[in-house]
Formats: sequence, C-alpha cells, structure tokens
Amino acid sequence: MAYLSTTNYLEDKNFVDKWLYTMRTGELDLSWMKASTEKIKPHEANARRGLTYRDLDLGSYGFTGVPEKVRTNRSYAPRGAEIPAGVPDSQPWVSRKSEVWAFNTESYYEEAVTRQWNVTTDIPWERLDGVELPETTGKALSQLMTFLTEVEMIATDTPAMWLPRLNPDFIEVKAFIAAQAMDEARHTEAFRKRALTTGWGLMQASPMNEMALKHLRDADSFSEMSVALHLVAEGNVLTLFRFSEYLSPTDVDKRIFRLVMQDEARHVGYGMQHFKYVLENFPEKREVLHAHLDEAENISFAGAAATELTEAFIILAGGGLKRENIEEGIKITTKFNLKQMEEHFERLEKCGMPERKERSKLFQMYQAGVAAAEAAGIKL
Amino acid sequence: MAISFPSTEYFEALKGQMAAQPEKFRRLGFIDTTFGVRVGQNGKARNFVLEFEVFDLKNVREVDAIDLRRVDFAIEGDSRVWREMLENISRNGEADSLHDINTLAHFGEQLKIVYDDPDGHDKLYRFMESIQKFFDLSSKVEVSFS
Repeated sequence: MAYLSTTNYLEDKNFVDKWLYTMRTGELDLSWMKASTEKIKPHEANARRGLTYRDLDLGSYGFTGVPEKVRTNRSYAPRGAEIPAGVPDSQPWVSRKSEVWAFNTESYYEEAVTRQWNVTTDIPWERLDGVELPETTGKALSQLMTFLTEVEMIATDTPAMWLPRLNPDFIEVKAFIAAQAMDEARHTEAFRKRALTTGWGLMQASPMNEMALKHLRDADSFSEMSVALHLVAEGNVLTLFRFSEYLSPTDVDKRIFRLVMQDEARHVGYGMQHFKYVLENFPEKREVLHAHLDEAENISFAGAAATELTEAFIILAGGGLKRENIEEGIKITTKFNLKQMEEHFERLEKCGMPERKERSKLFQMYQAGVAAAEAAGIKL
Repeated sequence: MAISFPSTEYFEALKGQMAAQPEKFRRLGFIDTTFGVRVGQNGKARNFVLEFEVFDLKNVREVDAIDLRRVDFAIEGDSRVWREMLENISRNGEADSLHDINTLAHFGEQLKIVYDDPDGHDKLYRFMESIQKFFDLSSKVEVSFS
C-alpha cells in the first residue's frame, strides 16, 4: 500500500465517540455550510447545446482565471471549493497551465462526449455476411487492422497514464484526456473486431511501430507526450485513416474509418491548440519542442515506412500481387506517405513554428521523396 | 417538384430534411463548422457557404466567391462530379463506397478540399459522418440539374 491514512480511525477513540455522539444526539456541526466560496448561477448560452463547461467559466470556478502556475491547490478539491487544512497532497506532476492547456479545451471535451459511438451497434457488421475477400487482400486488410489495434492499445494507455499526474484544477483537460482514452479503447475494439471478421485471424505485430509507440508512452513531460502523440502520431494516423477509408474494400470498412477519423481529428485539434498555446504562453519552450519534434519525426518516419505496414498498403491500394497491381499500389502509397509529411509541416506552420522546415531532417526526407516520386512519374 | 442543384433552395431542402430527423443528427453529435461548396461549370462557378451549429444547418447562403479565411474548408468540384455523387446517393439511399466525400476528395482528383488553416481542414474529418449523412439526405429530395 503506497499511501496509508495518517490516522487509524477505527481505533481512534475521539473519532468513534464523535460518530456515536452524533447518532445519539442529532447535534450537527454544520461548519461546512459557512464555506467561503463564490455564489453563482450559470445558464446555458445556447439551449440546444445544453449547459457546457464554457457556461461554467465564471469567477473562481472558471478556467479563464486559472493561473499559469497553480500553487494553491495540490489536492483533489474541485476548483473553486474551500480547501480546509488536512487535505492530502495529491502530488501532481503538472501544475503549470501552459504545460497542458489548449485553446478551446472545453469545447473539444463537449464535442467528444456528444460524438461517442458504439462499435458493437453502430457498425453494420451484418453486411459482412457472405463477403469473402481474396486471400491477398484479406490478409493485407487483416495486417492493417492488426497494426492499428497495436497502435490504439498504446494510444489508450498513453493519455490515461497522465490523468493522475495533472493538477486537479485542470478539470477540462483531464476530462478531454479521459474521453480520448475512451476513444482509443473503442478504436482498439473496432480494429480487433474487423481483423477477426476478415476470416484470416490476426497477422503480425510490428516491432518498428512498437518502438515508435513506446516513445510516446515513455515521454518525460505532458507537452512532449502531446507533441509526439496528438500532433505527430495522430496527425499521421488521421491521414492514414482517410487513406484507409479511400482504400476500404467494403462499405463496412468505410464506415469504421469515417467514425475513427472523427475521433482522431478531434485529438489532432486538441494537439494543435495545445501546441499554439505553449508557443504563445511559454515561449522559452520553443527549443525544447524542437527537440521533441526531432525525435518524434525520426520515429514517425521509421514507423510509417515499416515493411509490414507499407506492404499491406501497397497490396490494398493496388488490388493484389501482380506486377501491375504492385506498381499501382506503390504510386498510391507514395502519394499517401508524402501527403502525411506535407500535412504535418502545414500544421506546424499554422501553429506558429514556420522555421521547423529549415531544421527538420524529415522535411529533407519529404523533399527527397517528392523528387524521387516525380522522377518515377508519380503525379502528386 | 424537383429542386435545382446547385441552389440555396437545394441546401434549404436538405436543412429541412435534417430538421425532420433530429434524433439521427443528435446521435451523431455536435457539428460546429462553416464550410464552402463550389460547383464549377463551363469555367464559371456557383459558391455556397453552409454554417452548421450544434446539431443543425443554421444558415446557407450563395456568395460570389468563398473566402477561405472565413470558412473552415471548401469542397470544390465540377458539376459533373457533384451530379454523379448526388445521383448515386439518390439510387442507393446513401453514397456507395466509390462516391462518399472522402473517397471522391482524397487525392483531389474528383472533388478537392481547399483551406487556409489545417485546423479548419481537419474539421471536415472531425464531423465527417454528420457531413456525409447531410449529403445523403439528398436521396429524400427530388433533384434536377441545370
């Protein structure tokens, strides 16, 4: 047991006597009724939307007033409550707002909650009855689903492990991160179910991608995790989901990818707004973020080029293993790979880091890839 | 009576269909995005701005040109591609796997997604299912093509 109560209440005579005394006499203390907290009455700004976290952004309860460095609350006291002596220190790792905050954090959470979906009941699994993909395509689809299941398992663990580390005053961020963990658990479920319904079982785990994913899980700071997960990895995965939807061999797969891309795009949105927030409010972190990106881009490049992923895409894109299929598959997959990189740099530029291209080895790789594609006659 | 595409009347008809199925769109969740639709024909184009809020299409208007700084993204395409998509929706009740928006727009070969801010661009994907279901409502409207 890592934490023991500072008192053994079951053997504390004063505590037990008071408990019995209250039962016997009905004499109440009621000191909690004198809590010196703000009295407010929030209203829905839009009745169609309901009462949102943004509607609660009032006075001492609001998120606008949370200071850059939260020094007054290290307990689980809800923001705005009176904090009496004796609450334990919850030992948050992160008490600096710019380390976690994003513009519109509360809206991302509200959106996440209303856009939840159910893998079991929202996917028309019955439409797969009688669908038999050719062996090559079926195995390639199952390999893609095996890879994505692996990705989503780590994507569930990674945000979830940061929850108890964040200062409880960051309620809206914690809510968003909790919703993200649920999204990723749902994606794991969707991809596992689809892998098994191909009839080919699961295919092979990906050492290269697990190495990349471990980098996300073992980040030293929340910002490092967010840059690597929300911005780089999920940015790439969002492009990958759109590509997978485009390649999907059945309308069931199309629906799966349309639904997962919604969640993924929301996570990328949070990542972009967090990145912007850090650059604007904690400018001395710019160099640290570049260092995070150096590493995140290295592993994302390696992961995206992993044999077991690339080959599955080439087969799905080209429709088989004949020479002409492979040639077509390589053309389409190359366009996708370059699009992933292009969109990554677009996002960074818009977030306020236009100089990234000059420093990034991945950008050099992107330029080399564009030149090679053009030389091979691939129209971008 | 058939409603002409493209026109504000067409999008108003989809808005009416959307409002007639509140539970379906409520189930899909908040949709907060403003985007443009550009339909090209013979070197000219008609442009529309659709403003979605909470669960509804709040407003639609025809504009001379789409200012990408004032919308999240715009979907552009030749009237031939739009017509093929809407006729496919009409036949199947929803877009089939070759005619959904992401497939048509993925490499910009049929429809093209244009944007100023990648965060706005990503909203197409954040609200993809709602946007697809919105266009799928076209199956409930008799459409004519000019």
